[in-house]
Amino acid sequence: MKIRKIVTLVEEIHVEGGKDVSPPARVAVVAAVIENPWAGQGFVQDLGPGIDENASDLGALLAPQVLAALGSPAEAYGKAAIVGLDGEIEHGSALIHTLKFGDHFRKAASATTLLPAVEKRGPSGVAFDIPLKHITDATIRSHHQSLEVRIADAPHAGELVVALAAAAQGRPQQRLASLSTEQ
Amino acid sequence: MADGVGLRKLVVYREELVTEAGASPVRPVQQASIAAVVQNPWAGTPPDRDLSVEVARIAPSLAKLLTYRLIEVLGGVDQIEAFGKAAIVGEEGQIEHGGALIHTPYFGNLMREFLEGESIICFADTRADAGQPLVVPLWHKTRAATRSHYQTISTRVSDAPRAREIVVVAAASTGPRPHPRIGDRTTDPAITTKSLETVLS
Repeated sequence: MKIRKIVTLVEEIHVEGGKDVSPPARVAVVAAVIENPWAGQGFVQDLGPGIDENASDLGALLAPQVLAALGSPAEAYGKAAIVGLDGEIEHGSALIHTLKFGDHFRKAASATTLLPAVEKRGPSGVAFDIPLKHITDATIRSHHQSLEVRIADAPHAGELVVALAAAAQGRPQQRLASLSTEQ
Repeated sequence: MADGVGLRKLVVYREELVTEAGASPVRPVQQASIAAVVQNPWAGTPPDRDLSVEVARIAPSLAKLLTYRLIEVLGGVDQIEAFGKAAIVGEEGQIEHGGALIHTPYFGNLMREFLEGESIICFADTRADAGQPLVVPLWHKTRAATRSHYQTISTRVSDAPRAREIVVVAAASTGPRPHPRIGDRTTDPAITTKSLETVLS
């Protein structure tokens, strides 16, 4: 795996809707900018070897870092794969939609649910929104949220941005009734 | 800390460069920016409005909040070699309002002291809609002319500044550009229009 850089983003919301949020709501993202393992090879039918070579290492790299950046236990989480213009979205999906990638995060966060994801192709500096849901029950509505991320000079055409996101709580002023109360 | 400065949100951004142009940097370097989204205390006020009372009240707390977080994120004040600052003013404010928060001793002197610097702190400011990026210049904190440390970091908050907000940024780097090789004042030849007469003709 050829890494160009590691980006950490933490948002801390102190006020939302004009009201204090206490403690401040924290969401963290750690993203690796890597060379697309399939860059320049034309259409590769079997993505298995590239997945085996990279997906687990990526998960192992990002999971502890995003939890460290968050600084408290994760209650919601999500992931992203942003593909540079010369790649296929399938390349990004290949690296993140495998247990080899996600299980590192699930284990580190004591999580059980599927990781919600964004996959997208775009130029350097493209903004992308990472969806997050609760780590043990994806129907817990208070924890549905997303975080916008942008890296000024990534992904290059032959790169991928692979990211994990974690939130220490639900939305800052969450006040929707639980799903089970709806008729 | 958030009390009194009108803080809505704080955004921490850090980049750790692993390779550049396919090779490891001469030194492992991290860059970081800390952005505070605060209410513009002067939004909608006329251009002759005195700014000094709010500057003395808000800017010192902002300097402390931002630099302490910067030091924490980059692993200690000793690690920090280059610094810069910035303000993005929402559309109901004036650039002067951003300048008021970052260009007076109430911010700059404190930031320099907290980061153990001596240089003037380089800066960028603009008025912009929420989500517009701003490139923040950095240079060496004690020897501003150190060319290897001329660098920038891009800062952006997706939903700020709103029209009546200001984004105030402190940024720093733990080292030089990844592969600095454009010399320095000590190695530069004496260049004048006369010495380049043939090139310029």
